Amino acid sequence: MDLTMDNKIKIKSNNLNVFYGQKQALFDINLEINQNEVTALIGPSGCGKSTFIRCINRMNDVIDICRMEGQIQIDDKNIYDPGVDVVQLREKVGMVFQKPNPFPKSIYENVSYGPKIHGIGESKDDLDQIVENSLKRAALWNEVKDRLEEPGTSLSGGQQQRLCIARAISVNPEIILMDEPCSALDPIATAKIEELIDELKKTFTIVIVTHSMAQAVRVSQKTGFFHMGKIIEVGTTEQIFKNPTNNMTQDYITGRFG
Amino acid sequence: MTNDTHIVKSYGEELQFLNDSIIQMGSLTESLLTDSMNAITILDKDAVDRIVQSDKKINEYRAKIDTQIMTILVKRAPMAIDLRVAISALRISQDLERIGDLAKGSAKKIVPLPEDLSQTLLDSLKRLGNTVKNQLNKTLDAYIKKSKEGAIEVIKLDENVNELTYLSIKEILNFLSKDNKNLEFATNLLFVAKNLERAGDHIRRISENIYYLVEGDYYQK
Repeated sequence: MDLTMDNKIKIKSNNLNVFYGQKQALFDINLEINQNEVTALIGPSGCGKSTFIRCINRMNDVIDICRMEGQIQIDDKNIYDPGVDVVQLREKVGMVFQKPNPFPKSIYENVSYGPKIHGIGESKDDLDQIVENSLKRAALWNEVKDRLEEPGTSLSGGQQQRLCIARAISVNPEIILMDEPCSALDPIATAKIEELIDELKKTFTIVIVTHSMAQAVRVSQKTGFFHMGKIIEVGTTEQIFKNPTNNMTQDYITGRFG
Repeated sequence: MTNDTHIVKSYGEELQFLNDSIIQMGSLTESLLTDSMNAITILDKDAVDRIVQSDKKINEYRAKIDTQIMTILVKRAPMAIDLRVAISALRISQDLERIGDLAKGSAKKIVPLPEDLSQTLLDSLKRLGNTVKNQLNKTLDAYIKKSKEGAIEVIKLDENVNELTYLSIKEILNFLSKDNKNLEFATNLLFVAKNLERAGDHIRRISENIYYLVEGDYYQK
């Protein structure tokens, strides 16, 4: 486990406040996320961790009543600056959701759709290559290479989630956001995704929201604990789960909360 | 301070049970150590039977605590303070068992005291035995109170045990040098002194684990 935490800072939130109408969902969030590391966000339901990661690719923009203050910087550039192209931002910041959500299209089209609309693969050969590489990197290629024209929805839950990961990485993002990616999967499928996360962090910066403490310990190098819209404690995953400094963190991770 | 109540009550009860088992095992080890010293210094023959019984019980405690810890690890995947409670209990029970073994080993050396055994030698052994007993008593107290300060005090006092062991060994060697027929008895006493010193080392380790349990970090001088 990397304890040095000397990686470059990829994402930085500065005094981030988010409101849904009158209700404030996040309060002064200051958090630094290192490049090529997995950062886990933990906390009880409704604590703001999903709201936070949805700010990183401006997914909250689509919610009319959602308003934010403060900054989120990726590579030192504020992604909420007026000049930022949100489509390009989302090309850079992929996302995988709790429930696998493949498009109602073939396995091949699920992966080639992104590169096509972003103009990444021009020829059929290029797209074939991207699809193959993405599926290989998502550790799914061997299971689907002979059935690429079958619907994505025909795959098992775990395969569908890996298909969604292949879809997310097909456009060469720099960051992958994962919102409880294993909560609908069985232990074997979960283990495959976790193994994949470990591999993917070599190339990408990963932020994962999880309700599984054990998963946070297994996959992440840094952990942040959210509670009622505030970040209570951030540290190396080892420190947070072995010896948290904040009693609230300790109460939460040891099941004493409430 | 951390909230004492787990949402899952049975989890809290399991940890409490583990804690209570360590205290009971420690208290039994303390009695065994007292019996062992009495067996040697005042030739309390009944103590030997009690020692054998206590040692058996201590071994049973160790096995029971091992099983409890395994169950907690498998069922609860403990984190933070709960993980430290489990890990420190595992280590402390090992040390208590070893103290029991050493005390029993010393008592086995019991033979009628020679008439020319000096009071100074006997006193130095008693002093060493009492110091080790006090150390164990203090470390158990620190465990019950989860007191970092109590644990540090025991760690620092371990040096006294080492000094008293040195003095006892010196007295034993004096006794040995007086007459060759003392060889067997003196050798036994050397084992007793060495066992007490090693028991002191285990007590020190228990205190270091209490420090780790409370602080989440290792004790540094």
